[in-house]
Amino acid sequence: MTQNPPIPLSLLQPGDQGEVVLVQAKGQVRQRLLEMGFIRGARLRVEKLAPLGDPMELVIKGYHLSLRREESSCILVQPVAG
Amino acid sequence: MTLTVALAGNPNCGKTTLFNALTGARHHVGNWPGVTVERRSGTFEHGGTTMEVVDLPGTYSLAARSEDERVAVHFLASPEVDLVLNVLDASNLERNLYLSTQLLELGKPVAFVLNMVDDAENRGVRIDVPALELLLGGPIIPTVGNREQGIDELKELLGKMARGESNRCRRITVDYGHDIEGELAKLQTEICRDEQLEASMPPRWLALQLLENNVEAKRVVGESHASEAITQQLARSFAFLEPHLGADGATLVAERRYGFAHGLVKEVASAPDDKKSPTARLDALLTHRLLGIPIFIGVLALMYSLSFILGKIPQDWIADAFKALSTFASARLPAGELTSLLVDGVIPGLSAVIVFVPVIMILMGCIAFLEDTGYMARAAFIMDRLMHVMGLHGKSFIPLIMGSGCNVPAIQAARTIESPQDRLITMLVTPLVSCSARLQVYIVIAGTFFSPFKAALAIIAMHFLGLGLAVLMGRLLRSALFSGPSSPFVMELPPYRLPMLKATLIHMWEKGSIFLTRAGTTIFAGATLIWFLSRYPGIANREWTLEYQQQRQAIVALNLPVAEAEDRLKAAQLAHESRIVNTSLAARLGQKVEPILRPILDPDHKRAEAWKDVIALTAGFVAKEIVVSTMAVIHQASEEPKEGERLSPLQVALRDGSGLTPLTALAFMVFTLIYTPCIGTIAMIRREAGSWRWASFTVAYGLVLGWGLAWATVTLGRAMGFA
Repeated sequence: MTQNPPIPLSLLQPGDQGEVVLVQAKGQVRQRLLEMGFIRGARLRVEKLAPLGDPMELVIKGYHLSLRREESSCILVQPVAG
Repeated sequence: MTLTVALAGNPNCGKTTLFNALTGARHHVGNWPGVTVERRSGTFEHGGTTMEVVDLPGTYSLAARSEDERVAVHFLASPEVDLVLNVLDASNLERNLYLSTQLLELGKPVAFVLNMVDDAENRGVRIDVPALELLLGGPIIPTVGNREQGIDELKELLGKMARGESNRCRRITVDYGHDIEGELAKLQTEICRDEQLEASMPPRWLALQLLENNVEAKRVVGESHASEAITQQLARSFAFLEPHLGADGATLVAERRYGFAHGLVKEVASAPDDKKSPTARLDALLTHRLLGIPIFIGVLALMYSLSFILGKIPQDWIADAFKALSTFASARLPAGELTSLLVDGVIPGLSAVIVFVPVIMILMGCIAFLEDTGYMARAAFIMDRLMHVMGLHGKSFIPLIMGSGCNVPAIQAARTIESPQDRLITMLVTPLVSCSARLQVYIVIAGTFFSPFKAALAIIAMHFLGLGLAVLMGRLLRSALFSGPSSPFVMELPPYRLPMLKATLIHMWEKGSIFLTRAGTTIFAGATLIWFLSRYPGIANREWTLEYQQQRQAIVALNLPVAEAEDRLKAAQLAHESRIVNTSLAARLGQKVEPILRPILDPDHKRAEAWKDVIALTAGFVAKEIVVSTMAVIHQASEEPKEGERLSPLQVALRDGSGLTPLTALAFMVFTLIYTPCIGTIAMIRREAGSWRWASFTVAYGLVLGWGLAWATVTLGRAMGFA
């Protein structure tokens, strides 16, 4: 598989999967995201977007989480074929 | 001897259910000192040992960033705690174990509860409990909290640990790898130079927090005399680790903790099967792109009807009972100060407090139910986009909407919002949402000065104005009070669960009784104060009282038909009260304050009686609907229309005698909407925000904003040629 450059999580579509490469957020948000399981190599899958288009629902570490675009755009992921 | 057990765990791990199962009804709800986080503690006995269980706020971590986390860490590190009981959600083990790694580092003995094992089994996850016990170094009891399975075993274990009969706790900590451990050791050496610092918390824990760049840990170190040495060592550690391991301290520590958790889960638990969970099937419907919003509106409508339509029934009973009591007392007791204190002060005051209880209990019960089922998180998920535009959180939506029924429980409903900033802003803007009490004022005023169609339009406009202002003020307060970025929206969508009826009932009872004890006294005091202001000194005037009694006797002596006699008695009573109120302290205040309100209520300075509006508005502090009954007294005209007439005598008096014009009447409505929350709302804000500061701020900005908008209404209206 050729390695594409990582993209922001916010660009993934429902159904897409990816692996966390880097959390770019700073301060509190960064710490919170790390604690919730956004560590290097963690697998995630985007479930759906909210009816109004934001936030997104994803599955990471076996549980469901929602993130606003603000936060999901600071997480770089490597898309992975499902 | 008593053993203190701290109950720690993630949100949604079933901790509170377990707490209820352990302590039964024997528990107490209070606040943690200095903060508005609820503190739940209770006791149970086992084999002659009393155990105190303290339910910590649910947290994902102990990083001490949020109020909840600070409370949890502070308590866990205190000598008060003998034993930590870590509740783990068996169906979500890996993330739950992240917190466990931190709990183990705090150095207290830790026992574990593997809760909701049935959920895990349904997902095909089987957990090898003895293996997990070995790897975590503490005893583990599997439970199903909402069916009370495993509770006896848990009590027995805690009892044995208390009596020192079980010593199954070994010290297990995460191994952070050679490089990080080396730096941790160096940091610990520096930390131990300050004995006080060393004693305040485990040095290894502090060192880890420093590596994670934790603000609170840095603050603690900043106060130490070894601060400089520690900071220098930390800089050296960062300089070594970051290039060496390719990431910053926070990432490295989190990675190792998750590494530990992941390894454990792989060792002891089977992988979940792929079949669609009931939660996924429900979510396909409940957060559906098109159906999600209509379903949510349906849920909201149901909740609203339950609280404010069903809740109105017992509310009416209470109001009627107090009214009957008051009528009974005024008929039996001689007219005078004491009777007035009882009939017009104490009884309405008590009524003003108790009348809220049914609504609060029902609404808080509904909210607890939504939270416990997991739907609350979905509601926030669905509405967050809209609320974010307003500078608020998805969870702010429900309090704002419920505010249109009554602001008091709506402010309490803001408790579901985790972020203190979002919660405070929601509480501060909720009073702008027009409640059903204000509607009664609009109906009287609009009905007097407008045609039925225009009146309906004006009333609807008030509600939209209130919501619009809430949005605007939300944005404004966010940028004015909190300069930093809004708190992150990282919200778990927990699996759907059916809550136990018992838990919901306990919750409702708690909310009702907390309201009575904490907010009730403030409301009662406020109501009594307003009684005093609007009755003195006239009520103490013996001659007036005597005159009134003579009038009554004279009417009775006439031997009129019952209906006519009653009418005359009522008229005499109204005249008597009117005389008292119109010469009261509130009236004097009204005359003093009237010039300030002149631009909005009397722009042409033609009204002789504009000060009377001030009395009514002052009385409205107690509850907005009292504005109407006070006006009836002031203008000596009944608020109940005679048969076959559209307008009540009060409305006729307002139209013909008050000097208000349609335009100033509209300004009066605008002012009534905004000028101040009622005493119940103020008491609730005080309680929920933890200080008088925010409660008084709400009153102050309401007065200013209300005046400004009423003035704008008059000025613009006149510019457009209305009168």
